[in-house]
Amino acid sequence: MERSEVRSLYLLAVFLACAYTVPFLVGAWAGTVRFDERWLGNLATVVVAGVMQGGVYAMFALGLTLIFGVMRIINAAHGEMVMMGAYLTWVCFFYLGVDPLLSMVLTLPVAFLFGVAVQKLLLNAVVGQPELTALLITFGLGLTMIYTAELIFTTDFRAIPYAPGTVHLTRTIAVGQNKVISFVLAVVISTAVYLFLKLSRLGKAVRATALNAEVAMVCGVDVRRIYLITTGFGAALAAAGGALVSIQFGFNPETGVVYTLQAFAIIVLGGRGNYMGALIGGLMLAVLENLVSLMVPNGTAVVELAAYGLMIFVLLIRPGGLMGVKEG
Amino acid sequence: MRSTPTLAGALVALLALGVVPARAGHRPNNEVLVGGAISLTGQYAEPAGRQVNSIRLWVDDVNARGGLLGHRIALRLLDDKSDIQTSIKLYEKLITEDKVDVLLAPYSSGITEAVANVTERYKMPIVAYGASASPIWEKGRRYIFNIVAVAETFQKGAVHLARQIGVTKLAVIGQDSLFPRQAGKGAKDWAQRLGIDVVLEENYPTKQTDFTALLQKIQASGAEAVISNSYFADAAAQLRQMRELGLNFKLYSSTVGPALPNFAEQLGATAEYVLGFSLWEPLPGVLGYPGMKEYIERYEKRYGEKPNYHAGGAYGALQVTEAALKHVGSFDSEKLRDALATIEVQTVFGRYKVDAKGMNSHEGLTFQILRGQRRVVWPEKWAETKAELPIPEWSRR
Repeated sequence: MERSEVRSLYLLAVFLACAYTVPFLVGAWAGTVRFDERWLGNLATVVVAGVMQGGVYAMFALGLTLIFGVMRIINAAHGEMVMMGAYLTWVCFFYLGVDPLLSMVLTLPVAFLFGVAVQKLLLNAVVGQPELTALLITFGLGLTMIYTAELIFTTDFRAIPYAPGTVHLTRTIAVGQNKVISFVLAVVISTAVYLFLKLSRLGKAVRATALNAEVAMVCGVDVRRIYLITTGFGAALAAAGGALVSIQFGFNPETGVVYTLQAFAIIVLGGRGNYMGALIGGLMLAVLENLVSLMVPNGTAVVELAAYGLMIFVLLIRPGGLMGVKEG
Repeated sequence: MRSTPTLAGALVALLALGVVPARAGHRPNNEVLVGGAISLTGQYAEPAGRQVNSIRLWVDDVNARGGLLGHRIALRLLDDKSDIQTSIKLYEKLITEDKVDVLLAPYSSGITEAVANVTERYKMPIVAYGASASPIWEKGRRYIFNIVAVAETFQKGAVHLARQIGVTKLAVIGQDSLFPRQAGKGAKDWAQRLGIDVVLEENYPTKQTDFTALLQKIQASGAEAVISNSYFADAAAQLRQMRELGLNFKLYSSTVGPALPNFAEQLGATAEYVLGFSLWEPLPGVLGYPGMKEYIERYEKRYGEKPNYHAGGAYGALQVTEAALKHVGSFDSEKLRDALATIEVQTVFGRYKVDAKGMNSHEGLTFQILRGQRRVVWPEKWAETKAELPIPEWSRR
């Protein structure tokens, strides 16, 4: 490791320690931090909720980072694919009476095919072009998806009443059942994708293409096919995220935008194209958001400031993100 | 102004013929153009859509009566997508390009506040029916009037009910936008007056969906009751997550969400015991405003549900506009403005008579969702039933 690299890691560690201490200091100053048992229960609940939320965020961010890693394309329609997943789940639940988790068996292949179609019809034309071209084309795709969803489903907020019960982890820590289910599934799906990329032949080909498309091609990898599979997987991961989001929160056609930003912040934070980075970024972001919200006076209003502030500072210290390598 | 010499000539000719001297005389087919931009899509589409229902109903009612001052109404409704910038552009277009004769108001305080700058510049009067934030009327504007109650009074009933059940610590939360902030300010003032301690005050971003941390913070603050200045999605999310986290409060009151008919439908048992505010309810027997019963019947026949307060307010504001136009006898916006500032009108929504700032002193009511129905619980003169408070704990429901 180069010396500057090591120094940036130390700097990063110091910065992160500070970033996560600030909410406590502000809270102590404002009097919102008390170290009695009940308050520690609140704190633990918030951290646990943050980790669970982060796991789900990380899963759909994984889709975004996969597409970026392989094709250098920023999929600005990623949040809309999450939204599509939520609506697919909703339709399965209310019209076909299928359990939201079981319906993934139906919705994920649909989303995969959707991703393949998007790759064939739109993205193939812009692979290798300047990043802005792809950004614009996916942005356009996102808008089209929003308005199509508005036409079909109107702008009313939908929600899927699923597993509304409470899970008591301890006497003071309680989490919603749906959150636990979502988190477990997100971990399972993310791990499966990770193992697939690490171990399977196809996964290795995907990683090889991400490392260097030309060399991969020379070695006999059908790069075009890898592109199709990558975007298919990305869309399926987004749709899986949508299914998990739909059983927790209300959604309407416009909620996708929030998820695009979130996923984007996560992969920038974690390191673009890095799978572990997405996981760490997701957890870090969600936990910090919850800590700020719990302790800083009127903190919920400044949560986004804290989240994007974290992203900017990490980038200043390590331009490649937490797990990123230096781009050259 | 926009009248050209030719138009003036035409008007003189019309006068000579004994026709009403309306500026709308230049429209094809003797039509008058009534237009506005409102949230047909986006986060405000739910309440705004009900106002659109009333607008369409009113247009057909007026046309069936022979039109506005003898002119058939042509309606032009544009979609602002619940977006302030879009709305500003559309009002510019409606006034300068489409040259509407009578302007309709948009929905939400934030959008109305922005649009008021445009209507003020072109001296076009509007009667707002979707804006409750009083700062809109505290900037010396002359062309904007209001029919609904100000935001500061929305939580008045809920705070009084909290006092009645002995709540001493209150949390006031709300979306970080104009109307919820004003409603929160009002709630805080009422709490202070009634000797209740506001232990937590917090706003959240408009797109917030996860309230876990905020709800934990409320619990940590020791608050016994939650005053939530929220719309539909946020109020629904807060209640669901309270249930998931097993957090119990003696009272929960939201400003807008519970007043929408599908709130109780979508949330089912989770919406029970929630307090909401309504500027009006379709209860002619309780409120007894003139024409109310007939309006409710016509609305229900056409849309298959009873009007809520958003719908009622829009219809009332349009009745006011119609009465003012009749009073003036023309579509002259300056005269219309003067009439709107002075006349008193009894509408299906209640009395309209504005103060010097242009604000009406409308009185609203607080209801509670009980067995899926909205039942008026405050003020006492209108109460249909006694409030069932404190809210039973989740584990006992």
